[in-house]
Amino acid sequence: MITFTDLECPDYQCKDRRLMRYVLLPIVCALLVRECPGQTGTATQTLSAQIYAAAKLSVPASVTLTVGATKFSTFQGTVTVSYRARTTSTGGGSITAQVSSDFTPAGGPSAAAGALTYTCSGANLGTGCSGTQTASTTLQTPVLTLPASACTGGGGSCSSQDPNSVTLNLSVPDNSTYSTGSYSANLKFVISGT
Amino acid sequence: MKRPLPLITLAVVMLVLAGTAHAQFNTTGTTTLSLTVAAEASLRIDTATTTLGNIGTIFADYTGTTNYTYKIRTGKASGSGAITLKVTSDFGPAGGPSVGTPPSTGDALTYTCSITSPGTACTGSLTASTGSSTSVSTFGADAKSAVGGNTGSVGWNLTNDPQYSTGAYTAVVTFTISAT
Repeated sequence: MITFTDLECPDYQCKDRRLMRYVLLPIVCALLVRECPGQTGTATQTLSAQIYAAAKLSVPASVTLTVGATKFSTFQGTVTVSYRARTTSTGGGSITAQVSSDFTPAGGPSAAAGALTYTCSGANLGTGCSGTQTASTTLQTPVLTLPASACTGGGGSCSSQDPNSVTLNLSVPDNSTYSTGSYSANLKFVISGT
Repeated sequence: MKRPLPLITLAVVMLVLAGTAHAQFNTTGTTTLSLTVAAEASLRIDTATTTLGNIGTIFADYTGTTNYTYKIRTGKASGSGAITLKVTSDFGPAGGPSVGTPPSTGDALTYTCSITSPGTACTGSLTASTGSSTSVSTFGADAKSAVGGNTGSVGWNLTNDPQYSTGAYTAVVTFTISAT
């Protein structure tokens, strides 16, 4: 055991250095839990995290609807919505769609008039919409419903796919009343989860 | 000796790669839907078999009417359209009327036209032919029929030549609609 009296201390400053070396330094090292010359220490830290419900999606920037060989049939196209979701044990979630910008220029199809319809297929987490949905410029229409305790990826109680996806099969009638030309509209998707 | 890439360059490259490797996930996403509406046309013959009959006056011409429904969309700026007909199979069996080789001069299968807008009916009485298509209706630019289609008809007139042998005779007339 080392005491201050065991060591020579010619002056006041030397005594301060010994105090620093043999008393304060080990204490500081122990507190910092870092390696120090000739010192060891252990510390326990409790880590905690609050996992919240979360949901995000991704859609292609553009989709071209094409018409078949039959005259005045239907323009068709598909949109694959990719999504990642985590819902709570008492929550759930949904994906909806809304026409945020109707077809332009004028003279062609109009989503406001009910020209854009879709069905949902291939959902690998949650349940895709049932039947034929008519996209609206004023209302959000269903695409997918997420159940409670849903989670993307990892397998087990979660889905094995990451990301998950659901496909929208879009249809626009090729009415003879439309003027010839190119038309475009924007379809906005929203995902939410609790 | 090669100089190492500046740190900022590496950072930019990594950011670019990260951006291309993964789609952007957000709580909302927007897709632009696009389609091209082209000129097109179709028709349906509503009178599958048109019977030409003569009622009343002896040796009166045979007459009948063929109804049809058409859909059309012509080009907005400089499009046009047409309906034509052609006798694709002459009357048979032999011994009766004939469009291609009538037994008497002046024998003919003629027709008049009627059509609802946006079509314009043929003018007057036209003679059907086995050799070439003849007009039934024409359409101008940006012609658009109703969603369910519009209607038209062709009124037939066939000479009742005493030279025809008695019996039943059949011919086939093909209607064609086009749009640009």
